[in-house]
Amino acid sequence: MGDYIVLAISCILINNILLAQFLGNCPFLGTSKKMETATGMGMAVVFVIVLAGIITWITERYLLKPLDIEFLRTLSFILIVASLVQFVEMFLKKSIPALYTGLGIFLPLITTNCAVLGVCLINIKEEYTFFEMLVSSFSYSVGYGFALVLFAGIRERIILARVPKSLQDTSIGLVTAGMIAICFFAFKGMV
Amino acid sequence: MREMINMVVVLTVLSAFSGGLLAAVRTGTKDRIEQQVLKFQKAPAIKQILSDVSNDPLQDRFKIMDKEQELTFFVGKHDGKPDSVTFETTGKGFGGDIGVMVGVNIESDQIIGICVTTHSETPGIGSRAKDDPKFAGQFAGMTMDKNFATKKDGGDIDAISGATVTSKGVSVAAIQAQDIYKRLKPEIQKQAALIK
Amino acid sequence: MAQSVVKEFTKGLWAEIPPFRLVLGLCPILAVTKSVENAVGMGLASAFVFVFSNLLVSMLRNIIPSKVRIAGYIIIIATFVTVVELVMQAYTYPLFLKLGIFIPLIVVNCIALGRAEAFACKNPPLASVADGLGMGIGYTLSLCVVGALRESLGNGTLMGHAVFGPDFQPFRFMLEAPGAFVCLGLVLCIMNLIGKK
Repeated sequence: MGDYIVLAISCILINNILLAQFLGNCPFLGTSKKMETATGMGMAVVFVIVLAGIITWITERYLLKPLDIEFLRTLSFILIVASLVQFVEMFLKKSIPALYTGLGIFLPLITTNCAVLGVCLINIKEEYTFFEMLVSSFSYSVGYGFALVLFAGIRERIILARVPKSLQDTSIGLVTAGMIAICFFAFKGMV
Repeated sequence: MREMINMVVVLTVLSAFSGGLLAAVRTGTKDRIEQQVLKFQKAPAIKQILSDVSNDPLQDRFKIMDKEQELTFFVGKHDGKPDSVTFETTGKGFGGDIGVMVGVNIESDQIIGICVTTHSETPGIGSRAKDDPKFAGQFAGMTMDKNFATKKDGGDIDAISGATVTSKGVSVAAIQAQDIYKRLKPEIQKQAALIK
Repeated sequence: MAQSVVKEFTKGLWAEIPPFRLVLGLCPILAVTKSVENAVGMGLASAFVFVFSNLLVSMLRNIIPSKVRIAGYIIIIATFVTVVELVMQAYTYPLFLKLGIFIPLIVVNCIALGRAEAFACKNPPLASVADGLGMGIGYTLSLCVVGALRESLGNGTLMGHAVFGPDFQPFRFMLEAPGAFVCLGLVLCIMNLIGKK
C-alpha cells in the first residue's frame, strides 16, 4: 500500500506530467484562459488517460509482447487512443448528454494531447504491474488537471494586469508556467 | 454502401503497407540495435568491472533461460582461464528501474564489483549510486553468503545519505543477482568453461 | 511553379515558423532543448517525418475517403515515426536514449497532423514536400535557438565546447524544467518585438 501512495505522490507532484515532463503543453496553453474550460479539460483528460492506460497496457501485455511485434507499439497505441476518443465521444453523446455538454468539446482535442500517449508509453517503459499502471495513469492525469486549474486561476488574474504588448498571451503564459514549475520544484525532496 | 467498402479497403491496404514496411525496417535494423544496446549500455559497466581481463567479454557471452527471463552472461578471463562472469539485474529506484551489472568470480564466489548501467535518478542525489565509487565499492570482495541489504534493512551496506530509495534499489538488484547466481551456479560454471 | 515551391519552403523558415508563429509542437521544444545536440537530433527526426508524411498524404489525397482521412493520416505519420525510431536506435543510440519517449511522441506533434490536414491534402506532392521541408527546417532552427540559449547559459557550453571561459558561473536554472518555460516565453516575446517592426 505504501508503495502505491509514494507512486501516486511522485506522479502528481514530483514528476508532474505538465511541469516536469513537458507533456500536453499545447492544450495546456490553449484551454487555460478560463477556469471552466480548464476544469472541463482536466476531467476529460483524467477520463481518457485512465481508459487508454488500461487498454494499451492490455494490448502490450497480451498482444504485442507475446507476438514479439513491439516495434508496432507507437502505431497501435495512437490508433487505440484515437479510436477510443471517438468512441467515448459517441457514447457520451448518446447515453450521458449532460456529461457530453461538459466534456464533449474537449474530446477531439485530446487525440493530439501528447500527455495521453505519453502516459501510456511511460507505463510500458517503467514495466508497471496492472495496479501500478492504474495508480500511475490516474495520478498523472490528476496532476495534469491540478496544474491546469492552478494555471487557469492565475491566468484569469493576468488579464486584469497590464502586460507589455510583446509579452502578451502565449508568452506571458509560458513565463507564468515557469513560475508554477518552480513551486512544483519544491516537492522534489518529499519522497 | 460502396463508400463504406471503399473506406475499409483503403484503410486496410494502408495498414498492411505500413505493417510490411515496418517489418522490413525492423528486420534490417534488429542486429544493429542489439549491438548498440550492448555497446552503449552494458560495455562501459562490464569494462569497469572486468578491467584486467585478457579477452573481450562482449564477444565471450552466453545466455541461460532463468524462469521466463533470458539472462546474458559475459565471461572474463584471467591468465587464459574463464574465471569471472558479469550479468545484469534490476531494482526499483526513485525514478524507475535501476540496472546493475554484477561481476562474480566463479571460483571464489566473491563479488568482483558492481556498476550501475541505467538509471533515471535525481541528478546529484540518486545519481551518486553510479558516479560515487565509494558506494558501489562496498560490494567488491564480498562473498555470496553476505547480506547485501542496506544497514537500515539489517544488511551490511551503507546507504548513500539522502538517497535511501536509490541505495535500496541497488542493493535489491544485488540481492537478486545473488539469488540468480546461487541458483544457476552449476550451469554458469559449465557454460563458462566452454568459452575458449 | 518553381517560384511557388520556393515560397512554400521559405514560409516555414520565418513567416510561419513553428512553434513561434504557429504555436504548435511545444512539448519537444521544452523537453529536449537542454543541449544543441539534442535539439538538432529532435529537429531532424521531426523534419523527416513531416516531409515523408506530407509526401504520402499528398500522393494519396484523392484516394483516401474524406471521412476516414484523419485515421489515414495518423497511420501514415505513425509509420514514419516508427521508421525514425528504429533507425535512430540502430545508428545513433546515445541520442535515442536522451530523447527517450519524445521520439514516439512525434506522432502526436500537432505540426505533423496540422500540415497534413491544412496543406498536404489539398496540394500536389512537390509543393507538399517543400512545405514539409520548410516546416521541418524551421522547427529544427527554433529548437536550436532555444537549445543554444539554454545550453550556453545553463552549462556554459555550445555543442560541448566551453564558450564563456573558465570564470563563468553556469546559470543552472536554465537547464531545469522552470527554465525551459521561462526561456521559451522570452524567446516568443523577442519574436513579437521583431515582428512588429
